[in-house]
Amino acid sequence: MSTSDTKGRIHVKSDLMRESLVSSAFNASTEKGKIRRMAPDVHFIAVGGQSIMDRGSEALFPLVDEIVRLKEKYKIVLGVGGGARVRHTYAIGRDLGLPVGGLARIMGGVEEQNRDMLQFLLAPHGGITFVKDHFQDLPMFLNGGLIPVCIGQPPYHIWEPPPEKGFLPENGSDVGLFLMAELMGAASMTYIKDVDGIFTDDPYKNSDAEFIPELTVEDMKARNLPDSPFEAELLNCLETSRLVREVRLINGLEPGQLAKALAGEDVGSRLKGSRSRELGEENNE
Amino acid sequence: MSKKKIEKISTSGLENPFSGMTNNSMLSGEEQYDQTTVKILPDVWILKIGGQSIMDRGRKAVYPIIEELLQAKKQGIKFILGVGGGTRARHAYAMGLDIGLPTGALAKIGASIPIQNGRMLQMLMAHEGAIMAYHDDFEKLPLYLNTGCLPIMSGMPPFEFWEKSPMVGRMPQNRTDAGVYLLSEFFGAKGMIYIKDEDGLYTADPKKDPTATLLENANAKDLLASGQDDFIVERVVLEYMQRAHHTHEIKIVNGMKKGQLLSALQGKDVGTVIRAK
Repeated sequence: MSTSDTKGRIHVKSDLMRESLVSSAFNASTEKGKIRRMAPDVHFIAVGGQSIMDRGSEALFPLVDEIVRLKEKYKIVLGVGGGARVRHTYAIGRDLGLPVGGLARIMGGVEEQNRDMLQFLLAPHGGITFVKDHFQDLPMFLNGGLIPVCIGQPPYHIWEPPPEKGFLPENGSDVGLFLMAELMGAASMTYIKDVDGIFTDDPYKNSDAEFIPELTVEDMKARNLPDSPFEAELLNCLETSRLVREVRLINGLEPGQLAKALAGEDVGSRLKGSRSRELGEENNE
Repeated sequence: MSKKKIEKISTSGLENPFSGMTNNSMLSGEEQYDQTTVKILPDVWILKIGGQSIMDRGRKAVYPIIEELLQAKKQGIKFILGVGGGTRARHAYAMGLDIGLPTGALAKIGASIPIQNGRMLQMLMAHEGAIMAYHDDFEKLPLYLNTGCLPIMSGMPPFEFWEKSPMVGRMPQNRTDAGVYLLSEFFGAKGMIYIKDEDGLYTADPKKDPTATLLENANAKDLLASGQDDFIVERVVLEYMQRAHHTHEIKIVNGMKKGQLLSALQGKDVGTVIRAK
């Protein structure tokens, strides 16, 4: 049903008719209300670029074996980061004076290479490439026993917003895969890197670095860790998320850690959102 | 950590100032670079036609604007036209909120309406070279512009499923005002003009509050700090302006007033300007 207002605009009748979507009061009115989960039984797993992929077969083969075993029990979506070649891309791009949107546009190419390599290794066990345009085919892929492998970086491309600090895109592979997990209302979000979790310092450089099994975003920001394993923007995303309220960091060089993480056992470090937000509707399983 | 660290495979030849750094520490590899960035399309204007404010009024509002756009094009003024959503987008958002869609899914469904509006404008201006430029076509924009075409884009940024949950509420914060602003910022465009149905930014929504007064030469930093409930452009645009390299001001013209848009494109002092700081 439509209606014409005194200003000559033709409206479709809805609760938001004539509403300014910018109004703070209006936005606050949308805070309440449940969000339904699209994929509450799916585990999102991020495979680090520099930390895992760049180590080649020695790191990847055992990890792939573990993923293949776990796939029998869990629905898994894999995302990959870029690593050394992304850093090289940034270095050349920055030297050429490219704006942040330009860097965001080109860096995905490296992650696509890593995605294709991981998919190659997983292909005999159902590994497939999983691209943006097939996002809504995910139920079919998972019910078919496949292991979708995607890039982590979100498709912001030249629309990458100007960063708070510096010249590099804030939204990298940590952020992108988290946003996918959050959209899906996923069962868990696990980051596989080359450390046992979050430490007070780089454990490879400082043997006195202390392991932190669990902390909130607020704690993490207050600690201002010299070598945070996560993108800074991931912390902000955890503060505003509604469905995925924690992530876990585990060591992909240690066989068995991923199995424990997916089983919900104590392993690695858990990073939790510190704001309390109304959680989404629990799924009627 | 019990095991010895497995060595990375050779990265020789790839060494660079960011080598081996974590994502966070890469920021410290910055100083050696030039602190400016290039402008990609510095002689092109980014314009945005409002959805609710212009498109939903139909012929009466749209035809005169098209006339001015085509006049500007004949005068050799280059521009990319972004388009908003409007009342159908609002209907879809209202439904989406009601059925419990997450923010990213709301952004995804919100993206369809500006494309409808863009296609309507393309049909109306096809005879003068109007062409739809989708998100993945942007590298072809120089071709379109140099061959005398008039590229029309959806204002929505391609974030869609990757739109972040906002601090408050569930609505996607990056909608069509933000999308065209980010285009302008990336291109280092000649200017960013929003074509709306008001003379500019008021102290409140002038359609609802008769006491609202027009703010001439507003500044985005003060606006964000003011606690004002409503703005004529999306809040994130004002935030992005604070850290932008190129687009430090935006202009709002009243598309319902004949001649304003063309005058603005000719560099005349019409409409209102919002500056970053």
